[in-house]
Amino acid sequence: MKVMLRTSVIVIALMVFLGLPILFYWLGEFPRRSVLKEAISLLTLLAFSLMLSQFFMARSNLKVIQLFDLRQVQLVHKFIAYAVMTVLLLHPVLIVFPRLFEAGIGPWQAFRTMLTTFENPGILLGLAAWILLLVLTLTAIFRLRLNWALGIKYRNWRYFHGLLSVLVTAVAVLHAIKLGRHFNPSMVFFSVSVAITGAAMLFKMYLFPPTKPTVSAKQTVGSE
Amino acid sequence: MTTTEQQSGPTRRAFMAMGGSAAGMAALGVNAGWGQNTSVSDASAFTTATHDCDVLVIGGGMAGLFAAVKGHDAGAKIRIVSKGRLGSSGLTPFAKGFFAFDPAQEELTLDEYVAAVSRSALGTNNPVYTRQTAEHSLARVEELKAWGFFDSNLYNKSFMTPIEARGIPLHERVVVTHLLKDGERIAGAAGFRLDAEEVVIFRAKSVVLCTGAGAFKPNGFPVCDLTHDGTVMAYNIGAKVTGKEWNDGHVGRAKNPAATYDGWGDMFDRRPSLEGVGIRHDLGVDANYLAYKLGNPVEAGPGSGPGKNVAGGPFRPVEFADNGPPPGPPEAAGMGDGPPAGGGPGIGGGPPGMRGPAMGGASAGMSIHKSEGLVPINDRCESNIPGLFAAGDALGSHMCGAIYTQIGSSLAGSAVQGAVGGEAAADYARDVETPILEETELAAVEEEILAPLRRKAGYGPAWVTQTLQGIMIPNFVLYIKKESILSAALAYIEELRDHHSPMLRAADMHELRLAHETSNMIISAEMKLRASLMRKESRCSHYRLDYPDVDDENWRAWINIYKDESGDMRLEKQPFDTWPAQT
Amino acid sequence: MTIENISGCIGCGRCVHACPCDVIRIDKESGKAAIVYPADCQICHLCRMNCPVDAITLSPEKTIPVVVSWG
Repeated sequence: MKVMLRTSVIVIALMVFLGLPILFYWLGEFPRRSVLKEAISLLTLLAFSLMLSQFFMARSNLKVIQLFDLRQVQLVHKFIAYAVMTVLLLHPVLIVFPRLFEAGIGPWQAFRTMLTTFENPGILLGLAAWILLLVLTLTAIFRLRLNWALGIKYRNWRYFHGLLSVLVTAVAVLHAIKLGRHFNPSMVFFSVSVAITGAAMLFKMYLFPPTKPTVSAKQTVGSE
Repeated sequence: MTTTEQQSGPTRRAFMAMGGSAAGMAALGVNAGWGQNTSVSDASAFTTATHDCDVLVIGGGMAGLFAAVKGHDAGAKIRIVSKGRLGSSGLTPFAKGFFAFDPAQEELTLDEYVAAVSRSALGTNNPVYTRQTAEHSLARVEELKAWGFFDSNLYNKSFMTPIEARGIPLHERVVVTHLLKDGERIAGAAGFRLDAEEVVIFRAKSVVLCTGAGAFKPNGFPVCDLTHDGTVMAYNIGAKVTGKEWNDGHVGRAKNPAATYDGWGDMFDRRPSLEGVGIRHDLGVDANYLAYKLGNPVEAGPGSGPGKNVAGGPFRPVEFADNGPPPGPPEAAGMGDGPPAGGGPGIGGGPPGMRGPAMGGASAGMSIHKSEGLVPINDRCESNIPGLFAAGDALGSHMCGAIYTQIGSSLAGSAVQGAVGGEAAADYARDVETPILEETELAAVEEEILAPLRRKAGYGPAWVTQTLQGIMIPNFVLYIKKESILSAALAYIEELRDHHSPMLRAADMHELRLAHETSNMIISAEMKLRASLMRKESRCSHYRLDYPDVDDENWRAWINIYKDESGDMRLEKQPFDTWPAQT
Repeated sequence: MTIENISGCIGCGRCVHACPCDVIRIDKESGKAAIVYPADCQICHLCRMNCPVDAITLSPEKTIPVVVSWG
């Protein structure tokens, strides 16, 4: 019974976080460009969606951590996080990378123009999201050393991580809505509703902590 | 241009002209002709900005670049003004072959090279300019290499390198409409900004026109921003213009003819490259003649034509016969660098990779590169107006002659002449006082510039342009010429000149640009028709059905066009191998 | 259409300057490039090649009827 339940949860998660963005991409009337560019776009869309999925692979999602072992969840969370962060931190470079193979302005000129178009709020949001994402990633990777050096308690780090995640997500979603070429109404609705649900679950946990701790005290190896 | 505040409806005569001249136009469903002006620009709220310099360079292509750089290096205070962006407007962005004469590499000596060009050009070339381009080409190549010109298919960045290094002020997206005079000599130019409600006045001791040539906004050639503006502005202040009877005979694809990028294969994607000596006799009206005689025989791509032959047609010198009729455009228009695409016996002549039928008039309204424009009075790109110089396609240097002779010489010629003209203009400016611009004259010019914005109703410039295209572009008008049709077309053009040009309306700055461009194209059309009527022979890219032979007895001469004191268009002969008589 | 689509535009304005025919303008409200004068597009692709984020798609069809010498 539990195995079946687990399987269905995984299938549903895959369908929501991978299936839906692919579906929206497929059905949307977007101009199709070269294979390389489309592959990069799709990769970025999936990374973005998986970033949103992180809210649901965390302590705040009681149902999931009851169904799975928390350490397993944390492992998956971490694994996806590293993959997603790699793609998203490279996102600005990936946009201009195909210029290496075609006529027109070079990748470096395109990159410089893109990152210095400060009049555009979408670009400012993107820059902010990128910096916040970098902080989020670094403070996660170096959590143990950081906490030890600064004497931060794990619980407080968790709050920091959770709240920063919400901030990153909010800024990133706004950035994507402003500039994302594949952010048609379906994609916007999907991202906003998933992001709000995820953040709501997190705040619910912070504001109304579960009465009985559902996990053992050994959870320090995990990440939130 | 007149400034008549014409607010009444068009005359009956004008209506008849519209109906007759553009029979198909209404059926094509083009923009409305006459209509109310939904003006969004408040012409009374315009500001005026005045800029001073020694030498004003008008145009931001290859010629403009070198005119500015060399003028600066000769000690002059320069300004560049362009209606587009430096290196990204006119024909320069699409030209990829650069002719460089390297004496160490070539089998021909310089003298032999010039003689060979003259033979192909049937004497129509000016050997002084033919030699000048070849002589200076390598030096220009070295400079361009240093600026990174050969490293990208886009030219703005490399063009900006020397301009930024010298701190030369650049006015982009400013449409110049008038040249200004102080007495007999040049005094500057005036125009308007596309992005602001501002009239711009340049006070300059000398002006170098690097405005390219032009066409009738044809489909099939990326020349739609070139409308003979420089030529007509100069003509209006008394400059002499030459070479209007010659035609560039490019064909394009019948399918999506207006898609210039698609029609030219990977040309626009390519980086520029060097060309050695390769003299041809191309891009005349051979294909036009075949199409005239046989319908549209110009099928399929290079070398795959049906190889039809037909008696008569343009004369081709025997030694250039094996070139075959016009090759594919890429290498031809000086825009390419590949091997000749249409060298075979077929009558292909389409862009590379072109499949299916071709269409004619891809570059309609344009002459052979550098064979139309201001008449030079010497080898320093100087016009008959003191202080006014021209370079590149804006100068009727006849560097190649009236037929396309040397591959890649378009870019090279513009670079070389730009440098020569820029330096000459700086030399001139050194010895003259700053000109004086009369307030009343400036006010009149401003009035003329803004007139289309102020008209409450008028003709839409797009509609007038399309009417003009309908009159001029047909094969039997522009290319395969005869007295009766040329005269008939001229009657229509005079109608446009007298009753449409003064009634053009403009709702915004973009349309104001179109209005001035349209007026310029109408004057250019009149020049083309009058010169074609006058030249009663056939030679190179000028073909008359009623005078099909080369007439060396009467026509070893260029035709110069100028405005007489009463404002009428006058034509005169200037024998080959001479400079114009100085008055 | 000529310039068919502009999506993912960041409003840097490079295309406006690159266009020889003044087809594109930056829309004041959205801050993004807009195809304002499509009839004047000569389909030369300079805008696309100058766009840092590859936002512009073109199609080979002209929006207005074309006049040719012979077809």
